[in-house]
Amino acid sequence: MRSNVVRVLIGIALLVAAIVLLVVLKDTDNGTSDSGAGSGGSAAERSGQTSGSGAGAKEGAPEAPTIVIRNGKPVGGVAELTYSAGDQIRFKVESDVTDEIHVHGYDLMKDVEAGGSVSFDFPATIEGVFEGELENRGVEILELRVNP
Amino acid sequence: MTFLPFAHALAARQDLPIPAWLFAWGASIVLIVSFFALSIAWREPRFEKENWRPLRQGLSRVLLHWVTQGLCGLFGVFLLGVSVYAGLRGTEAPDRNFALTFIFVTVWLGVPVLSVVLGDVFRPFNPWRAIGRVAGAGFTALARQRPAHLAYPEALGRWPAAVGLVAFVWLEVVYGASGGVAVGLSPDTAAVAALIYSGYTLTMMALFGTERWCETGEVFSVYFGMFARLGSLDVRKGSLGVRRPFSAATHWATVPGSAAVVIASIATTSFDGAQEGAFQGAIESAFDRLVDAGLGLTAALRLTDTIFILLTFAGVAVVYMIGVRGMASVKGAPPLKTLRTGFAHTLIPIALAYLVAHYFSLFVFQEQAQFTYLLSDPLGTGSTDLFGTASGGIDFTALSANAIWYVQVGALVVGHVVGLTLAHDRATALWGDYRMAARSQYWMLAVMVTFTCFGLYLLSVANG
Repeated sequence: MRSNVVRVLIGIALLVAAIVLLVVLKDTDNGTSDSGAGSGGSAAERSGQTSGSGAGAKEGAPEAPTIVIRNGKPVGGVAELTYSAGDQIRFKVESDVTDEIHVHGYDLMKDVEAGGSVSFDFPATIEGVFEGELENRGVEILELRVNP
Repeated sequence: MTFLPFAHALAARQDLPIPAWLFAWGASIVLIVSFFALSIAWREPRFEKENWRPLRQGLSRVLLHWVTQGLCGLFGVFLLGVSVYAGLRGTEAPDRNFALTFIFVTVWLGVPVLSVVLGDVFRPFNPWRAIGRVAGAGFTALARQRPAHLAYPEALGRWPAAVGLVAFVWLEVVYGASGGVAVGLSPDTAAVAALIYSGYTLTMMALFGTERWCETGEVFSVYFGMFARLGSLDVRKGSLGVRRPFSAATHWATVPGSAAVVIASIATTSFDGAQEGAFQGAIESAFDRLVDAGLGLTAALRLTDTIFILLTFAGVAVVYMIGVRGMASVKGAPPLKTLRTGFAHTLIPIALAYLVAHYFSLFVFQEQAQFTYLLSDPLGTGSTDLFGTASGGIDFTALSANAIWYVQVGALVVGHVVGLTLAHDRATALWGDYRMAARSQYWMLAVMVTFTCFGLYLLSVANG
């Protein structure tokens, strides 16, 4: 009985240690300053993290992507845009149909005329994956990802 | 190229996939916990006996008084009525109509968790049970004899509930999805389905008896009741009491068809989680083929999804059966049938973990809608404001992506541990020899690790 209790305590201690390690590693990932705390797994984690935020940074840079709508559908499929929280989200939609563009979650609506274009420019305040659609047609044109 | 529409009419926001490092950590913790679990293995079953004892009588008397129970039933009928009315008369915009969020989020996702904490709370509020009981009492008073019911076929067991469970989720995630236009299940369809289900349920109650049908046939009673078995609170002999946690789950699966119910629960959640991630490529290619074969977009999508939901069910069942077959090969094993029903309950915590992992964020966000604009403006007309909260909305910043990830991984790990615990406990009860019992559990360990890592995998490729 006693040895069981000891084993349970050791197990709980192991779990707590694992969770603490997890939190610590995660923080160093975000901070990117401290590199000493990691064990074997951290290199892979860090590289994964950097490539993610790197893509986000590029998206946020000067050139705002343009989504072209032809015959009521996005050319080249649903556009995927990735940002990090705090970035400024900028993109433009050129459409050959009259419709309303709805960005879910952020709940932004803008009308677009056939042959016209409309620009979006808003801060990435909500983390998650959001769809943008031609509201009246119900066609998805955009998948917006905001990473923490 | 074909455009697959998005399936979730209610979810304006979807979860980010869990990052690789969290996936790795989650899986490592699962393995550490599992091997550790093997080392602390106890030799006598601890959860087979419930040790139920009553709580203070005062509380029981109030809660179980017929007036209280009657009011609960009345409230349940009222909520069902509001949902059907809103579905039929309210807006067709799924996210603005009370019916869809209430049925598919508040009740379907909320009550399982509530049942674990508070016991079988659905029972007093079950609108069909309330109607059935009043009808039964009325009949007895008028005819001066109790209604004569048919004998429920024992072999049928919980199969009607298992089929109903798949049908319910199918209605939401398969029938609701349609080709071309991005709408989910329409509130109108949900209301009609609720009416059809009510007619079916009341008929069955009339045939077999209200309580009898609730035990094994009525989908919601069986489904929520299954999760209630994990908790401590239970009403027995007319009074409220506490029992050892998880202990009531150990004899839940003795009724035929129980394994199908819990497997259906895991499978439907998995399918919903996988359709926009892990299965997306396969679903799209099957869909394209059906469209090429001349099927309409909507028909092709529904057929594809139906096939995949059934395949998922088969897949989950196969993993469980491999575990059962494996255990049967260990010396001193009881017959296969005993093993098959004997370990079904160990999947209940996995089912709950899947539910929490996949729907936690949806639940938190949709409940904000439920208690603001959906409460004050149930029809979504924009002109009513019953409680002054119609202008409220969902604050999507309420949960960070990190918070959601930790809840998801945490739920899977906890579900895994509880599942393992129950499986080990059952093995010690079934095997006379303690060492053989421990050996048989390598198989269930493999089953649990498979489910948990599959769950983590689904989360890591969400919206892939």
